[in-house]
Amino acid sequence: MTREQILAGLEKAVISGKKQEAVSEARAALASGIKALDAVDFGLIKGMTIVGDKYAAHELYLPQVLLAADAMYGALDVLLPHIPKEDTKKRTNVVIGVVEGDVHDIGKNLVKTMMTAGGMTVFDLGRDVPIENFVVSTKEKDATVVAMSTLMTPTMDGMKQCVDGLIESGLRMKVKIIIGGAPTSKEFADDIGADLHGINAQEAVAKLKAVL
Amino acid sequence: MAMSHIERAMASITNQPVDRLSVYPIACGVNRRLLSTPTTYSEWANDPRKFAEAAIAGYKYFDWDWYFGLMDLSVMAGDIGAGVRFDEQNTPFVTDPKIKTPEDYETLRIPDVHKGRCGVILEGTKLFAERLGKDIITSGFIEGPLLALTQTAGAEKVFMDMYNHRSAVHKALETFTQFDADFTRAFGQTAAPGLCWDYLWGSYSCLGDQEYEEFEAKYARELNALTAEVGKAFCVHNCADLPHLDTQVKGFKPVIYSMAWYPLIPGSMTAKEVIMKGYSDNCLMAGNIDPQAFIRWSPEKIEKATINLLQEVKTALCARGLHSRYVVASGCEVPPSLTTKMENIKMVVDTTKKYGQVTC
Repeated sequence: MTREQILAGLEKAVISGKKQEAVSEARAALASGIKALDAVDFGLIKGMTIVGDKYAAHELYLPQVLLAADAMYGALDVLLPHIPKEDTKKRTNVVIGVVEGDVHDIGKNLVKTMMTAGGMTVFDLGRDVPIENFVVSTKEKDATVVAMSTLMTPTMDGMKQCVDGLIESGLRMKVKIIIGGAPTSKEFADDIGADLHGINAQEAVAKLKAVL
Repeated sequence: MAMSHIERAMASITNQPVDRLSVYPIACGVNRRLLSTPTTYSEWANDPRKFAEAAIAGYKYFDWDWYFGLMDLSVMAGDIGAGVRFDEQNTPFVTDPKIKTPEDYETLRIPDVHKGRCGVILEGTKLFAERLGKDIITSGFIEGPLLALTQTAGAEKVFMDMYNHRSAVHKALETFTQFDADFTRAFGQTAAPGLCWDYLWGSYSCLGDQEYEEFEAKYARELNALTAEVGKAFCVHNCADLPHLDTQVKGFKPVIYSMAWYPLIPGSMTAKEVIMKGYSDNCLMAGNIDPQAFIRWSPEKIEKATINLLQEVKTALCARGLHSRYVVASGCEVPPSLTTKMENIKMVVDTTKKYGQVTC
């Protein structure tokens, strides 16, 4: 197969949410001498971007997006170990999580997926994440972006506490803080001292790229 | 002449002229703070007497027109075997899903709805419906089968398994539909005139029409019909963004439909749009004060928001030739947390009393 055919195969496997196909295509890419980073950028990310656009246009829905993300991560597991360290250092490191007291993480996972598709290295802290974990991980992962989400109003205060924690630890000036989730708003982001508010995954990535 | 709460509510359902629009900020768990004995969320959610006493205290303090007995969305999941974390004052949530493998979808066993927290809701609903029945219209609250399944297994897993393990997901939905049917029949033994279904996943941010039809609507129709069979007014609450209004309002034909408004999300409908697009023509629509306003806003700000909503609704109702088919409500539950400002709940009710007159 040609390079173009393999990259197109990766893209197609992501769009159709076929994890096994994506993994096979990723292996084929490496076997044929395609650079792992090219396979990510011109295959996986291209496919995931199309899926994201179709989701935003309500042409695809959550199940298809989740399957596409699963396919992308399956192929990434194959490809990432083959990306030279000097290339990964150029990528933006992001720490992301759902704040403490909340376990609704589909939105966070979509943002994580689109950030990954946007070329960022995302460290997912999961859900119900204590404030100190955001702070410690930001330092450990040398992150320049901290992303927090919540779906519940009572847990919104945890976002403010995280911002305060980053200030107290001296990390605030090194990171951009972005928040999202149904009850949040630009006004709330401003109130708590976050830099950005994202309405959805696409917008979050676009806003980050504009300021990084 | 001032109408009674029940006269106003019944007139609103049937689109008759009213002395003012009806109002119910969806305050449930937060009412425990009105009890004379300090009561944690956990105590309220596990004791039917406290569940009912809080509802009664809420009505007495706020004087609203309706009440429905929402607890939280981990009730059925917990009763069918998922691990639920109870913090003292926070809304409980599932921490240990019951379904971890495809096989698990097919081995669920329906619990006795008279036990566990389903039993608390049933007994609590029975108690508050009897006590409040002469004053206001009350309703039980129940999770739809897809919602209960996603709470039990994790939403992300279920959504992916809709494609990866389709028949197993349907098997589980059949089980939850039976669970819901048992629960519905038991609600039929209470004095609450209504039963409100939470069909949360009918949202275009989550599912398209085809998936929603396959994975919930077809099951929901059975349950909607059963709701009527057991003598309850069928109501729907859906606080998701971009709800499937054509299916859930025009198709399901509930008596009352409660929804939220997300101003930042393109396509999220305002109250005016909801009314002007005809959703209030045959259904009492309810919305859409922002729930976080009850924690974050000043009483003055929420008063202004209520006045603006009332003006918008009244103008739209008149333009549509309707009298009363809108309830001033909160879209989602008023946060049951300790920082919710009770004066803001009161302000929404009092402002509706003051400015809710419809004069076309």
